[in-house]
Amino acid sequence: MAGILLAVSLLAACGTDGGSEGGGDGWSYVSGDGERYTAEEVPTSIIAHAYAAKVLMEFGITPVGSYADAPITEDVGLQGVDFGGIEILGEEWGVIDVEKAAELEPDLIVGDWWPAEDAYSGLEAGVEDESRRIGELAPVVGASQGDSIVDLIEGYASLAESLGADTEVIDEQRSEFEAAVEEFEAATAAKPGLTALAVSPYDADYYVAVPQYAPELLDFQSWGLAVIDPDSPDEDFPYWETVSMENADKYQPDVLLFDDRNYPGNMDSLDAQPIADEIAAYVAGAHTTWPAYWLHTYPDYTEQLERLTAFILEADENIGTE
Amino acid sequence: MTLTRRRSTTSVRHRPALWMWLLVAIGALALVSVASVALGAREVGLRTVVQAFLDPTPAADVTVIREMRLPRTLLGIAVGAALALGGALLQGVARNPLADTGVMGINSGAAAAVAISVLAIGYSPAGTQVWYAFAGAAVATVFVYSVASVGREGATPVKLALAGAAVTALCASVTSAIVLSDPDALDQLRMWQVGSLGGRNFSVFNQLVPYFLAGTVAALFTGRALNMLSLGDDLARSFGLRVPSTRALVFTIVTVLCGAATAACGPIVFVGLMIPHLARVITGPDYRWILAFSLVLGPILLLICDILGRVVAPSGEIPVGVVVGIIGAPVFVALVRYRQVVKV
Repeated sequence: MAGILLAVSLLAACGTDGGSEGGGDGWSYVSGDGERYTAEEVPTSIIAHAYAAKVLMEFGITPVGSYADAPITEDVGLQGVDFGGIEILGEEWGVIDVEKAAELEPDLIVGDWWPAEDAYSGLEAGVEDESRRIGELAPVVGASQGDSIVDLIEGYASLAESLGADTEVIDEQRSEFEAAVEEFEAATAAKPGLTALAVSPYDADYYVAVPQYAPELLDFQSWGLAVIDPDSPDEDFPYWETVSMENADKYQPDVLLFDDRNYPGNMDSLDAQPIADEIAAYVAGAHTTWPAYWLHTYPDYTEQLERLTAFILEADENIGTE
Repeated sequence: MTLTRRRSTTSVRHRPALWMWLLVAIGALALVSVASVALGAREVGLRTVVQAFLDPTPAADVTVIREMRLPRTLLGIAVGAALALGGALLQGVARNPLADTGVMGINSGAAAAVAISVLAIGYSPAGTQVWYAFAGAAVATVFVYSVASVGREGATPVKLALAGAAVTALCASVTSAIVLSDPDALDQLRMWQVGSLGGRNFSVFNQLVPYFLAGTVAALFTGRALNMLSLGDDLARSFGLRVPSTRALVFTIVTVLCGAATAACGPIVFVGLMIPHLARVITGPDYRWILAFSLVLGPILLLICDILGRVVAPSGEIPVGVVVGIIGAPVFVALVRYRQVVKV
């Protein structure tokens, strides 16, 4: 693990090595889908998905337009971000005002690449046809929600650099982050038998997250936290396994991690069901939230890791039976 | 031997035969109820089910059976009975074979109330949402009835149908407007509007059971009045029936029954429309028997659809509103084609 972090730091420190080139003779970037995108001139008019916009703004690149998955003031991942001066093209997943976007004359669209759906944010299968036309306005690039959030963040740093930004600020953020990872790893090492389950109860169903498609959960697993892999992910939407509330006690972890995007509503949904009394971790109060699919910057990740480390230090590894 | 002793008309059934069929139906209901408690997404053996009631030791299986499937089954019986009775009453008082809670504005009124509550107050738990839905259904029905009553003739079937359609359209527009502008409302309503028994436990059941009981008892007593009304307003009046107040009373009972049912599970269509016709095939035009059979057949249909929804899906459950629609449509078509039942 330390080796990977070292390699990543070297890569970023070297600057133009690897994934991006900027400067006077055109623009090129290897995007999350593995393709290299080029242009004759460095793009200046950028429309970005809200989370990508957040990370680009960290490096001083301000997009001209942005589209979000939920009302910006309520989105967990966008707290404290100033979208002043940026045209908001939508605040609901799958709905983008493409006409307004076209008026901005973008030359680059930026959003996460989702390997499970083979699409960028804003172009996935469930998006309205009209909204999906944003992909026709300009090339779409972005870092991949693949095996690790670290790759995602470094991918965006790479993109920012290719667009001419100075990414020096990331060096200090990275070292604080690495310190937080070390603390996290120490905490999980002290409790080797600790198991966790990432869930999102909704209405009458109990959804269990599949770590394979949640990079932050893959990171936790690689740092020593045993996040349970559900045994039968839904076929058509493999991010989750849908479990009936009757079977909500199927997995018995030591701690529960609730999807923080609709917390505490999802916890209340579970609480209203009698089966909640059969989930040992819930009865013992051993639960907290997990930053679900919105981490895009080192400061956010550091904050979340510090919170989770404190939680793990207090956790009891003998509650569940997994 | 008197010549007038024996009368044979095709529409009068022998009473002993009907009592027998009613017992058969009640037996079927008991069987389906047991199945509803025994079957579901969680595999629980029949012995465990029986032991859960006779000698319960705390365990996850027992919790699922006693606190999740049992209230769900009871609610299914209550809602099935309420919707079927409500449909029979509506068809009788409106003299409209297509009368159903959807046509009379109850479903759309409840939906509009839920949407408004999410817009105004935000997310509310199922226990409170129930009251908003109830209020919405009540307001919509009162409105339909008042609009239809304007004029000398009062609420004639034609005016009821028109008023119902108008109020349904109005409520649907209000709901759409709210849902298109507020993603939270869309989220809440999306799940509620399908009509589902999932996730409802004793808290919802206990809150609404007084209304179900009162409405059912009252409904069963309206058989004679409905028989008279079905002969036409003038003839009914000549029998001494006070037509306007009887209609108002029947409408109130429908509001209580169907309002409670919609509040509990969201709008479920078809049950109120189809079950009275099914009952009529067995019983003939006597409303006292139609109501008795509706009371039993409604829950049977709803529970069967709920059980199917629970066991058929590979993961999760199919809401009962969806299954009723899928099963109900072909059955109703068959009913209409092969029997001359669409005569109220």
